[in-house]
Amino acid sequence: MEEFFQQLTNGLAVGGIYALIALGYTMVYGVLKLINFAHGDLFTYGAYLGLTLLTSLALTDRLGFAAGVLVLALMVMGLVAVLGALLERAAYRPLRQSPRLSAVVSALGASIFLQNTLMLIYGARFQVYPDNILPAATLNIFGLYLPLMRVLIVLASVLMMVALYLFIQKTKIGTAIRAAAIDQDAARLMGIDVNRVIMLVFLVGPALGGIAGLMVGLYYGQINFTMGWVYGMKAFTAAILGGIGNIPGAMVGGLLLGVIEALGAAYISLAWKDAIAFCVLILILIVRPTGLLGERVADKV
Amino acid sequence: MKQKLWVLAAALGLGIAAAAGAADTVKIGLMAPMTGSWASEGQGMKKIVELLAEQQNAKGGVLGKQIEVVTEDDGGDPRTASLAAQRLTTKGVAAVVGTYGSSVTEASQAIYDEAGIPQIANGSTAIRLTEKGLKHFFRTAPRDDEQGRMAAQTIDKLGFKKVAILHDSTSYAKGLADEANALMKKKGRDIVFFDALTPGERDYTTILTKLKGANPDVVLFTGYFPEAGLLLRQKKDMNWKVPFIGGDATNNADLVKIAGKEAADGYYFLSPPQPQDLDTADAKNFLADYQKKHNELPPSIWAVLAGDGFRAIVAGIAGAKSADGGQISGYLHKDLKNFSGLSGPISFDAKGDREGEVYRVYKVDGDGKFVLQKL
Amino acid sequence: MKPRPEVLGAGAFVALMAVAPLFLNAYQVDVLNSIGLYALLGLSLNLILGEAGLFNMGHAAFYAMGAYTAAILNTRYQIPILWTLPLSGAVAGAFALAVARPVVHLRGDYLLIVTIGVGEIVRIALVNDVFGITGGANGIFGIGRPRVFGYVIRRPEQFFYLIWGFVALSIFLFLRLKKSRFGRALNYLREDEVAAEGSGIDTAYYKLAAFGLGAAWAGMAGTLFAAKMTIISPESFSFWESVVLFMIVILGGAGSIAGVLLAAFLVVGLPEVFREFAGARMLVFGLVMMVMMIFRPQGLLPARGRRFPWVASAGALKQ
Repeated sequence: MEEFFQQLTNGLAVGGIYALIALGYTMVYGVLKLINFAHGDLFTYGAYLGLTLLTSLALTDRLGFAAGVLVLALMVMGLVAVLGALLERAAYRPLRQSPRLSAVVSALGASIFLQNTLMLIYGARFQVYPDNILPAATLNIFGLYLPLMRVLIVLASVLMMVALYLFIQKTKIGTAIRAAAIDQDAARLMGIDVNRVIMLVFLVGPALGGIAGLMVGLYYGQINFTMGWVYGMKAFTAAILGGIGNIPGAMVGGLLLGVIEALGAAYISLAWKDAIAFCVLILILIVRPTGLLGERVADKV
Repeated sequence: MKQKLWVLAAALGLGIAAAAGAADTVKIGLMAPMTGSWASEGQGMKKIVELLAEQQNAKGGVLGKQIEVVTEDDGGDPRTASLAAQRLTTKGVAAVVGTYGSSVTEASQAIYDEAGIPQIANGSTAIRLTEKGLKHFFRTAPRDDEQGRMAAQTIDKLGFKKVAILHDSTSYAKGLADEANALMKKKGRDIVFFDALTPGERDYTTILTKLKGANPDVVLFTGYFPEAGLLLRQKKDMNWKVPFIGGDATNNADLVKIAGKEAADGYYFLSPPQPQDLDTADAKNFLADYQKKHNELPPSIWAVLAGDGFRAIVAGIAGAKSADGGQISGYLHKDLKNFSGLSGPISFDAKGDREGEVYRVYKVDGDGKFVLQKL
Repeated sequence: MKPRPEVLGAGAFVALMAVAPLFLNAYQVDVLNSIGLYALLGLSLNLILGEAGLFNMGHAAFYAMGAYTAAILNTRYQIPILWTLPLSGAVAGAFALAVARPVVHLRGDYLLIVTIGVGEIVRIALVNDVFGITGGANGIFGIGRPRVFGYVIRRPEQFFYLIWGFVALSIFLFLRLKKSRFGRALNYLREDEVAAEGSGIDTAYYKLAAFGLGAAWAGMAGTLFAAKMTIISPESFSFWESVVLFMIVILGGAGSIAGVLLAAFLVVGLPEVFREFAGARMLVFGLVMMVMMIFRPQGLLPARGRRFPWVASAGALKQ
């Protein structure tokens, strides 16, 4: 039983990261009906930018751990957000009136481009965050091993998700985003600047992806230029699992996918872990064709 | 728009048609993963082979001609590798060095063999590569069965009883895991765990939790260094003290960087000797030159083995007094004995395998240094 | 009636391809072979994604089914590799029908992730040596060379005629199919599923048929791949392969046979051309994909509004 709970917490820690990245997919999809395949690479940029800023500015030395990491996180979020907005401008805006799949191919091209840019700048070798930045404390609760950082990661993810949810639900700008997601033309007629909404979505989504990249870098230490592909795929799966376009769905989907993977690996088979996760996904979609929290809408033609 | 398409089509045609002009050089091919997941290995291979060529040329090249290294990217994937091989065969190379990864090498073997071009693979340890009776295939890398034997023997000598084996489902790691598993079972070792992780991920605590549940005396991990580094790091975070033994794919300077010195302390791995553990003047001088030029050590022993492949080819061309593939292969099979390689003496047997005991046992010390063990 | 320009263009293309091996070296011919295989796979995916509009990003699974069926039959039962073509197609098609049956009604992007999932499940099954017949990560090696009328096919230029002959046959059949009742039903389905259903088209039947047929064709392409490589392993059927095929169809122009051909040339050929850029070749490739999509959002040679839209010069009519 102890092992079960241990695996459960393992799954939640992984799932928290998936959920943060999934939010970027789902927000963009909600407004543009576009699967932004380059989102995973923005996550990687978060990890690399974090490393560069951390080592070149020595933030944690100057400001102490908590303040240093906070400043670092804000800088990474800002930079990746700008990158996301640039990506939208260059690769997606020209295709907004085009068939949806054309934008998907443009996104795939952007993904290849971004990934290989990183390889050329930083080289192909693994990059490693400096050791001993993080407090290495491990909590031991009823025999469960919980490194402090894992707890912090899950808490930070949940905190950001809740903040995003409140932003979307309670603020005026959030309402505009929701309106544009439901019907762009109608939103435009109501005086909403849809272009600005889209720009905003491409700022917030990548910012969350970037911070997820920074967290992975800080906690796991090792980063490389292809890591966004694996995380991106998982996060996209999570977004679909929860019902793409739905923000609480991305959170639930992410955490659930992490848990399914952990328990599948623990009790069925390690080697078949990803296959098990996809089987569960397919079964869920057969029962609920639009994901767990997705709305059942007729296909807009 | 039509014009643009024609321009594209013309560019494509030109690119394909760009043929290699013959010159007064001896061309030696290098097939390496310059892009894709193993790009770091490929780039190390290229740096080493090009530096060696530069040095050889300064000494007058071979057969009185300068050596030209022709590098082709195999992308670390079999289909791209077969194209890279076809391309090298049309470029008039005398012989080819490479590549990293058994299945990638395998996709190119038949092409070189049919073209009569000797190939010396550097990071391809799968047993069957040399069991096909190919006349022109050699490797400076050892074979998986030798490493499996060494792994079983080492675990025996260190006195561990309950063994957990973890691989990563790649051709190489699975083969090594199977080999070691069979040998240890025969000797009556208790194999308490045998499964695979998914490479390329970041979080392996699920696997470690499961491993810990099996309560082994030692864990044999046969996969690659990025995962090994993460496993060690996360194992330390768990306060789990079990020793780990790894295969030669974990012999990479980045292992300690990824794991952190503290977590890597006490990690054993099997590997062909590290260049710095060789006392030949050749190896020492070369490494000093390499460090001077690139300001770092080679990423791994596999890149160094590519260098050995290159040196063996140069020796083969000089020895056979010809750049003809058949003659080079003949020389390498019969006449190249105890050639002084960077990684130790090199001789090839009839199959093209490297002769002699190659594996050593290393242990990582508290400073993150790889220390040769005497067992 | 004067011959239409697209017919002339097609004729010129066929003539050029027929003599191409005489002027090219082994590497160049082999690049064309690779292009031919991808063209074949692209054409098969075009039926599903282009004609019927079903988002399939797991096409490598069906390709793998065919390749493995052929390899297993050949290495275990010594059945000549080309004889396995129909069976490889049938196995891949049947597999596609079985997996598509419960999910084919899913909305676009949900179907996309399910097909990605199917592709990954198949790959993981192959890696884990499912039923002990796939050889795990090693794959299957020692696949026999194909024979045609007693001639062993071994060299790149011999494979060239085998592969491109099959491409030509496929184009012929797919063109017929496109103009048939079946093809028109698929297009109707793609353009407006609700209206198609309303006009009495059995949408589920046509979707499944497109899936089965496209997968069967991919399976046969798999057989040719196995015959050419003589060794197959799971990494040849990764998610990335499905992505490449997806790009070929959309870049060419969904539903356009000429477009798929051109896109196969570009997507497979450009990374080869860009070998000059060494480490930056994939970067340039990614950039080119983006730029091409932005300048030709409907695809390079869109299908709509042309009766024989399968030649590069077809655009001349409108310009």
